[in-house]
Amino acid sequence: MTHVYLLYLLGCVVSLLLYKQNKIAAKVGFSISAIASGYGIFYFLMNLGGTESFTLGKNLLYNPTFSLDPLGNFFSFVVTLIAFASSIYAIQYTEEYEKKGSLAVMAALFNSFILAMLFVLSASDVFWFMICWEIMTIISAFLICFNDSKASLKAIMIYLGIAHFGGMCILGAFLLLANQSGSLEFSSFASISMTPVMGSIIFLLAFIGFGSKAGMFPFHVWLPKAHPAAPTNVSALMSGVMIKVALFGIIRFCLWLPVMEWWGLLMIIIGALSALLGVLYALTQHDYKALLAYHSVENIGIILLGLGTGVYGIATHSPTLASIGFLAGLYHILNHATFKGLLFLGAGSILFRTHTKDIEALGGLAKKMPITAFSFLVGSMAITALPPLNGFVSEWVTYQAMIQGAIGHGISSRAVFTLSIIALALTGALAVMCFVKVYSVIFGGTPRDMKIYEKAKEAPLSMVLGMLILVFGCVAFGLGANVVVENIMTVVTSFSDPYAIQANTVITSPLGSSISMPLISVVLIGALALPFVIIVAMKADKTKPIETDPWACGFKYNQRMQMTAGPFTGDLRKVMEWLFRSKSTVETDGYFKPVKYTNHPKDIWWDIFYQPVINLVEYSADKIGYLQNGSTNMYCAYILATLCLFLGISHIL
Amino acid sequence: MSSMFFMIFQVIAIVLVAPFFDGVARVLRARLQSRKGPPDFLQTYRDIIKLSKREKTVPKCSHWVFRYGPYTLFGAGAALLAVIPISYGSGTLAAYASDVFVVIYIGAMLRFIFGAASIDSGNPYAGVGGSREQMIGVFVEPVMMTSLLVVMLLAQTSNIAEIQEMVRHGEIGYQMPAFAVASISFLWAMYVESGRNPYDLAEAEQELQEGVLGEYCGADFGLAHAGLILKQFAMIGMFLSIFEPWSFENPFLALIVFILKAGIFYVAAVFIDNFGPRYKLLTSFKSNALAALGISFISLVLYVVGV
Repeated sequence: MTHVYLLYLLGCVVSLLLYKQNKIAAKVGFSISAIASGYGIFYFLMNLGGTESFTLGKNLLYNPTFSLDPLGNFFSFVVTLIAFASSIYAIQYTEEYEKKGSLAVMAALFNSFILAMLFVLSASDVFWFMICWEIMTIISAFLICFNDSKASLKAIMIYLGIAHFGGMCILGAFLLLANQSGSLEFSSFASISMTPVMGSIIFLLAFIGFGSKAGMFPFHVWLPKAHPAAPTNVSALMSGVMIKVALFGIIRFCLWLPVMEWWGLLMIIIGALSALLGVLYALTQHDYKALLAYHSVENIGIILLGLGTGVYGIATHSPTLASIGFLAGLYHILNHATFKGLLFLGAGSILFRTHTKDIEALGGLAKKMPITAFSFLVGSMAITALPPLNGFVSEWVTYQAMIQGAIGHGISSRAVFTLSIIALALTGALAVMCFVKVYSVIFGGTPRDMKIYEKAKEAPLSMVLGMLILVFGCVAFGLGANVVVENIMTVVTSFSDPYAIQANTVITSPLGSSISMPLISVVLIGALALPFVIIVAMKADKTKPIETDPWACGFKYNQRMQMTAGPFTGDLRKVMEWLFRSKSTVETDGYFKPVKYTNHPKDIWWDIFYQPVINLVEYSADKIGYLQNGSTNMYCAYILATLCLFLGISHIL
Repeated sequence: MSSMFFMIFQVIAIVLVAPFFDGVARVLRARLQSRKGPPDFLQTYRDIIKLSKREKTVPKCSHWVFRYGPYTLFGAGAALLAVIPISYGSGTLAAYASDVFVVIYIGAMLRFIFGAASIDSGNPYAGVGGSREQMIGVFVEPVMMTSLLVVMLLAQTSNIAEIQEMVRHGEIGYQMPAFAVASISFLWAMYVESGRNPYDLAEAEQELQEGVLGEYCGADFGLAHAGLILKQFAMIGMFLSIFEPWSFENPFLALIVFILKAGIFYVAAVFIDNFGPRYKLLTSFKSNALAALGISFISLVLYVVGV
């Protein structure tokens, strides 16, 4: 593992040394991180079941030891996998930023961002964990800065604010835990005994702290602001991997603490809420990067459903339930990283060639960017869990885990599990609607803005390559589900009991239901071949189709007639008006001028949870501000008063 | 391996027979509406063959999502039929594909292609139809999942072949109140999914289901149309295989019985869809969906409290 870490460090140093040669620095820096990631993928996969550690200089603070166990290896694998694709992608993508900032610094930060995430995963005491955790946050904030604008600065402040609050909660949880065990070493936390109240407080602090970084509801507000603001190769890493590192923290805490049933149920409830609300807000977005960020909220919810089931399984002493729950969570972590990385890279390619984030200005891009369109379609189908791609398998496992939980006794657990399953199904239907919208409005139909359309062309080689790597991942993790499950079970069995989940190509849930992904894909391919056979058998007309304008009821067709993203979800917005509180404005300027119609749905949780806090802070800052009135005499008086106060106190004491 | 043979066999058999029942339904509907209608029950075959001989036009703007749409629609419909265990049972190779979630997500795939092709066509009506189709999915999905969830929880498996056998042997079934109530709400979901009046009208107004296909013509249109008929058969088949699975052991006889049963359901739906107006999506449809959701929740509550 030290080799992988050193390679990233090398990438960081080399690109900084090439500070003067901006272009070369980017090429070299991102190439080194691609090599490091490629090596890392191979390394962490080979050593998935093993444990390994190294000490970073005995004289440093707290004797920093970094060690990886199977769980850490798995997460490191996910990190390097996405880092591999986005490093290759970045080699040409960053040309975009040549004028905006130093590419050398960007490559160095990119390398160190990956390195920081890997260090978080392998830290083995509280002090170094927190240090690496905060470094990870800070570097990602710096990387967002490359898109310099008012909106991105605000996004960074919101991101840092929530990360700060989360960091405080995590530190609180760690210190309470360390107080109970008497040591800051992680190894002392295992099988620690404490009162249920204490355990619950620690769990809640950790859950809120890590959850706010993971973007679960109601701490999701920073994602749709920060992810669109970041350069694409960074948003792929942030959305694909960084939020998963937070989930790693939640899993760690749940394995240390004496878990209770309601923790699992709470995770499931929050998961179901995040999934539903995430996809509902995603549906109304017109900025495709914000839309993808809201989908991260949704998928974090789905992952929490799996992990919550696992935690519930540990608490109720049912090892099979725990195993399948964690399997579902970890599998979806891997899958979400893959397809969300892919979708963000695809979005980056669109942005690279069109320079707009507004869905409504695009259209018909599939003709200009066929490979990007294909990759985006695969990503969309994977995230909506269509068989035989990877999303389907992990959602299937999640469903199985939750059904397994729901057949247990106890009315409350049954109610929570069954309602969450229904929420997951509804999320699936809504996600289909959302990705139909985003895919076909961007890539299908007639161009809505001819200027943008004329300039667009296929993304350059390294970007295409980066996307295709993840396309391959989406297909491979779906078809080779049994191999993935086998490997994840190695990880899960390191902390839970094993059970025979797979044999040959068949995956079997503890319920006994089993599917075989190769068989399902054979059925699908066979079924897709059928219509071609029928066409041949019927001796259908084979002349080349005549290309015309779409039919418009006898009117001359105009591209303004076609469906756009807003109306496509209009019915849903009407049904869910209580959630969006959208304000629609209609501007008319005479009969012959086009009517301007805008509709901006709001994230109402911002007003409910955040605005009061912001108002309070502003109010109190305003009041405290009276102290700072600019008159030197008054400041002298303050000093004098403070001095008297301290003298008085010391006199009394 | 024989189960794979039966899987292919059942798909081909239903693909060949389904247009016949569509023809029957059309004749019956015409009679009910005092129209003359098609001369015999074979009109749908003739339509599809005639369409395949015609030349095609496609919108200039469309790309392969639209152009291969009919093939994928038909393929997804056929795949749905393949994973419903009609002529094969549990424990066979083919049963590894026959899972409730596979059916639900292939259904989602159909809806995905439908929606993507509708916007890609650039046709204003098709886009509205695609949006409506998605909304129907959003309304139906919770009802469908709740009903199926109750069945899965009672059967403790999500394999349709196994559920079917349990119902057949009386291990679960209508003696359980939750199962009985779930069958009602699932019947509703099935009816809506099969695209009939008052919820939808497969061969009518532009902004409804067929409007999505507005830009297709020639062989493409024939295929897409046939694909929709297959989807309707698959939805009926899903209901039959879980809530009315009694049939012969012999796969050939089972298939014949299934086709007859499904055909009767398909044709009988004419009696419902011929009377009454079409519902608006956000008013009557919504309240209907809420009622169905209420029924499915009753069955869920019955399961949760353990009746």
